[in-house]
Amino acid sequence: MQIALEPAGRIAPVAELLNTYEIGEMARRKVDAATWALLAPADRAAFDRITFRPRLMVNTTGMDLTLELFGEKHFAPLLVGPVANQRRFHPEAELEMARGAAAAKATLVISAESSVALEQIVPLAKAGAWFQLKLEPDMAKSAALAKRAVAAGCKVVIATGGNWKALAALVKAAGAPVVAKGVLSVADAEAAIGAGAQGLVVSGWTERGATGKNEAIEVLPAIADAVNGRVAVLVDGGFRRGSDVLKGLALGAKAVLVARAPVCGLAAYGAAGVQRAMEILQTDLARDMAGCGKANLAAISRDTVKIHRF
Amino acid sequence: MNKFEISRRRSIEALAGFLAGSPLLSGQIDPIRDHARVPGIKELLTAFEFEAVMYAKQTRAVYNYRAYGEESEFTLRRNRLAFDWVKLAENKAGTSNTGSATVDTSTEIFGTKMAFPILVSPTALHGDLDKDGEQSTHKGAAAASNTPMILSNNSSLSFDKVMSAASSPMWVQLYPKQAMDANKAYLEPAIAQGAKAVVVTVDQLATVYERSQHDRNLNATGGGRGRFGGGGPVPAGNPYRISVGRLWYEWKFFEELRTFVKVPIVIKGILTAEDAKLALEHGVDGIYVSNHGGRSLDYGPSTLEVLPEIVDAVGGKVPVLFDSGLRRGADVLKALALGANAVCLGRVPLWGLGSYGVTGVTRVLEIMQAEFVQAMLQTGCTRLSAINRKIVLANFP
Repeated sequence: MQIALEPAGRIAPVAELLNTYEIGEMARRKVDAATWALLAPADRAAFDRITFRPRLMVNTTGMDLTLELFGEKHFAPLLVGPVANQRRFHPEAELEMARGAAAAKATLVISAESSVALEQIVPLAKAGAWFQLKLEPDMAKSAALAKRAVAAGCKVVIATGGNWKALAALVKAAGAPVVAKGVLSVADAEAAIGAGAQGLVVSGWTERGATGKNEAIEVLPAIADAVNGRVAVLVDGGFRRGSDVLKGLALGAKAVLVARAPVCGLAAYGAAGVQRAMEILQTDLARDMAGCGKANLAAISRDTVKIHRF
Repeated sequence: MNKFEISRRRSIEALAGFLAGSPLLSGQIDPIRDHARVPGIKELLTAFEFEAVMYAKQTRAVYNYRAYGEESEFTLRRNRLAFDWVKLAENKAGTSNTGSATVDTSTEIFGTKMAFPILVSPTALHGDLDKDGEQSTHKGAAAASNTPMILSNNSSLSFDKVMSAASSPMWVQLYPKQAMDANKAYLEPAIAQGAKAVVVTVDQLATVYERSQHDRNLNATGGGRGRFGGGGPVPAGNPYRISVGRLWYEWKFFEELRTFVKVPIVIKGILTAEDAKLALEHGVDGIYVSNHGGRSLDYGPSTLEVLPEIVDAVGGKVPVLFDSGLRRGADVLKALALGANAVCLGRVPLWGLGSYGVTGVTRVLEIMQAEFVQAMLQTGCTRLSAINRKIVLANFP
């Protein structure tokens, strides 16, 4: 990244940006220090311990990244993850995020703590909308939130925090598939499935906030093995490059949620930055799949990668 | 790569920037005599030092195109790291190889006789670095104990022009073309003019040099490639915006090539045992372990760490060549110890060519050869057949 060559403080034309770190740098130039502290890059160590085993002479001319999740078709295995209160990053907040996600054909996960009413956001998320809420001790409140989101057009409800009893109650009430987010162990995965979750997000994000350690990619293989296809396994946490996404898929995830990359795009450019962030990740994933000889997601498997000791 | 990561190049730049502003340094250097002084060729002692001279003498875009790697350059860095994961074992046998012993480094691959197990890798467009382009490289290589040269498919000059410039053996490299007639039209004249083998590069499928693209954004010339493609505009009908020009590759290409190529065929870019076995099944005569000098797939493995599994899979049936990341004679020995029959050098001769032309190529190759001999002596090997895995301690992560 040769940001150093650029005039200090310049916000480059969005089409010049080549990776999500550069989008991050533009966001840093645009926002105040306190906001940037929320967006600063995560540790790369976990991803740097994983390399590819590229297979050659495989025809990949029909390169296809599409997949089906909970009955809906997705353009690529990349969703815009939930982020609360996006007015912190852009005056148009979630509306602009939804426009950018739609332009990149990516499904948007809308936080229950959005700055804008979700009924206004969903129609703009033309590639699909999911809803995310924090499970409350008051189960009726969670159920009401989920029902409202489903009524507005959200296809899936992601639940974070709470307990398994609250999750089971939400599963019964939501009227849409419920995905448990924040799973970091096989025991958690089993409990979530036991409570009726139809999907998991292996995620280091807890109610205390992100740990910054990218532990999700490290625990993902064991959880994916234990789940063994019973429910959809998704993952988030520190995915900044298309190669990171390919690693997540190889280690058992059906799709990856990214948040910081599109949020940085939102902060620096609005919808155009969100679109650029998602398209960079999609394109780099496709390029890395071509390099590994994988023409579609089904061709990706554990032996696409090697995990190293250091 | 994020801005918190460290690369050698960035470290050098940072140190140079610090020193340039330091009163300590300006107090020691005579500003008249040493200002922008380029060292004489004989002052350079390692291949690394040629890179700095080449950097100083060439335009930024010409240097960058050759120095940079794919995307975040993880693999570019790992290629160098991997040589640190392999140590040369101490020569405990004490086999008297400390001075007067003669060392035989000669070998032969596909009938090509070599004084050292070292060839020049195919690299593009030497005309950017030297007015006589690949002719200068060939002359320089020939003067370094007749080092063989593999001419790039993207050479600045035609095969016959380069071949006629000097006497060292030449092979020819090919990027597969989907129309077999195009491969024929390119290879048949080269083989008729003396190419002893054909090296088919099968990696770099949709590669982009992220950092070179910055040159394009900053309006520098040369080197840059399209963000969303490996060499041209985004093809219509590709929803994911990658270049599709090479995605058609299939193994049957080698059988088709064989119908008119009668010299040995080498596959370049192999990084797994599985692909090495498939390559043998499809009739190749040589396996060339390469990650294109970190220019093909970011987060691919270093070549050294996968060399043993490939050598085991090949089982001695065909020669194994090796490149990506070599800068020292000891690196050459490590690759041979892990089973390579010979190594190829891409950037090393380019640093020589871009710094001092013909003599730079010769000198930098001679340095690698001399270091290789020293490393052999250090481990008690006086001939190539004595080199095996016992002379190294490998600790790959």
